[in-house]
Amino acid sequence: MSTHETSQTASTEVPDVADPILEIRDAEVYFDMDRGVSRVLDNVSVDIERGEVLGIVGESGSGKSMLASALLDAVVDPGILSGQITYHPGDGSSVDVLGLEKEQLRQLRWEDISMVFQGAMSSFNPTMKVGGHFEETLEAHDYDVDAGMERARELLSDLYLEPERVLDSFPHELSGGMQQRALIALSVVLEPNVLVMDEPTAALDLLMQRSILSLLEDLKEKYDLTLIFITHDLPLIAELADRLAVMYAFELIEIGTSDEILGDAAHPYTRSLLNATPNLDAPLSEMQAIEGSAPDPVNVPSGCSYHPRCPLADEECVSEDPEFRPTFTENHQAACFHWQDSAEVIPFNIERSDTSEVDDE
Amino acid sequence: MNWFIKRIGQGLFTIFAVASLTFVLIRTMPGSPAQQLAADIRQNQPSLSARQINVMVEQRIGVDPDQPMHEAYMNYMLNLAQGNLGESVNYQEPVADIILRSLPWTAFVMSVSLLFVFIFGIGLGAIMAYREGSKFDVGSSIIAIFLSSVPYYVAAVVMIYVLALELSLFPLSGRYPRGVEPGFTLEFFTGALHHAVLPAASFIVTTWGGFALGMRGNSIQVLGNDYIRVAKLRGLSDRRIALRYVGRNAILPMWTSFLITVGFMFGASIILEEIFTYRGIGYYMFDSIENRDYPVMMGTFLVITVSVVIAVLVADITYGKLDPRVESGGGDESY
Ligand code: SF4
Repeated sequence: MSTHETSQTASTEVPDVADPILEIRDAEVYFDMDRGVSRVLDNVSVDIERGEVLGIVGESGSGKSMLASALLDAVVDPGILSGQITYHPGDGSSVDVLGLEKEQLRQLRWEDISMVFQGAMSSFNPTMKVGGHFEETLEAHDYDVDAGMERARELLSDLYLEPERVLDSFPHELSGGMQQRALIALSVVLEPNVLVMDEPTAALDLLMQRSILSLLEDLKEKYDLTLIFITHDLPLIAELADRLAVMYAFELIEIGTSDEILGDAAHPYTRSLLNATPNLDAPLSEMQAIEGSAPDPVNVPSGCSYHPRCPLADEECVSEDPEFRPTFTENHQAACFHWQDSAEVIPFNIERSDTSEVDDE
Repeated sequence: MNWFIKRIGQGLFTIFAVASLTFVLIRTMPGSPAQQLAADIRQNQPSLSARQINVMVEQRIGVDPDQPMHEAYMNYMLNLAQGNLGESVNYQEPVADIILRSLPWTAFVMSVSLLFVFIFGIGLGAIMAYREGSKFDVGSSIIAIFLSSVPYYVAAVVMIYVLALELSLFPLSGRYPRGVEPGFTLEFFTGALHHAVLPAASFIVTTWGGFALGMRGNSIQVLGNDYIRVAKLRGLSDRRIALRYVGRNAILPMWTSFLITVGFMFGASIILEEIFTYRGIGYYMFDSIENRDYPVMMGTFLVITVSVVIAVLVADITYGKLDPRVESGGGDESY
């Protein structure tokens, strides 16, 4: 774990945002396991701008779900979360999320920072009507239930659901897409400022994914939400996200605006990821899978954790961990020593600077 | 509604089939009870004519040995439909009376047993699940496994020996204290309860473990579900999560086995009531087997079957109501 110390110093240097709603510093999650310490989130630092849509992209097992749980201090049990997460509600105060008392944390969750989980199908109590979930949530947070249910109905119809029918249904009586939208409504019924979504569309078909994404966009505008959208599907989120952050081996390795990432990805992994992603514009024959496999959290390679798979790797990459550094612009940053050469060595298999081509109109 | 009717129809058919089977058994058993009864009567009252004897046999067990099979069957079923179960050879009284007298006692012991099995099983199972892996969990699991592998009649004998013979804490046998008039008096009620403790305990001790282990497993499985995690994040109280989320979803799958246990207990009551000389329906059934009292045997057998059929039917019908995920078999939502 020698990599750990070097990245610590680098992590405080993060792209500036004007009005951060969340500041994450050195967030780290580890599990003590028989075969060693499993570090599933490794010194992630990032600022989240009020009102933005931040897409966090990574393969499964890259630590992105851990980052989502960390934002609500909800890492599953034997996992230990450290670092600093500061929440700015917008009234000038700031909240140290990881230092909160149990009751304060209970209130922060869902009232300020809410979350939609992977797999809506399993997020509802199967023996309780959907409406009951809304009511009990409002009650648990001492909200006015009548007003809250009114809001719930409005939310549901904003999401193109029939409010009365959905509220009066048991979860299994709704389709996957309906459950997912009902879950989104449930997650914002307490009017949070931040909504963290962990692969919210993973189990849905493409059409439903697209329609949920466009609904999210409307919802975000209407309710002034900051969205953190975690996915493995880069092209899907690229349309919605203002900025993209790419994770590899439990670390952030690149961050920038969506256009910067899609057009001028600086990190070799990001470029390979883009080339490996199915896209409406790219014939399947052009797709290139990334060679090698994702690292084991117990045994992350030393130096740059991507070096075993990186075509640009040299001795420096093996011995030292690259810090986050500005690339083409000050706020487009990547953790790579040789980012200048990446475009040449890993050319895009299609021209994708214009993201609006894949619009769902 | 269709499903409901269909299900009840199935139940009725089962009862009908059992009744018919009983008839066939009685007619064809080696040393046919009907013939045996006829022989008995002939021996005791040699003066009677064959015709008179047959009439008497029919009165007793609803089967006239000389009637052609189909006619006899019709007769027997018609009698049954009117609640006429024949007359006991041994006690010289209608079988229906014996059953009416004894069934409430069996039901009483069973309800007490079920109540405690439910409370202990579900309660301990849930606590074990919440403390999965703790000493309490491991210890209780071992005890539960051990006790559920003890046959109830062994438990009964051990309890009689220790609690009734050695310690004299509980009566050895009987349904209520001698000398107490049955009625709505406290004395009678506590006396009856005192007498029911050992038979009920034999059930409880050997049955709770299975429920506890089942509940433990279900609860652990439910606790691992995403919706529990989401419920916690939504800030629901631990109490609400325990009752409305874990409890409800873990107990539901046990409902059916709970009612099937009712059926099992009816079967077990035959031996248990004999051990405790507890005059419930099982006692009379055992007694009738010993004494070749075929009418009583048939009657009690029928009643036990009907009870089991009803228990399963209730399990089926109520489960659909309790668990919204179970659509009624026919797929309509009308009940
Ligand atoms: S630092 Fe080296 S190994 Fe890591 S991505 Fe950059 S070039 Fe590849």
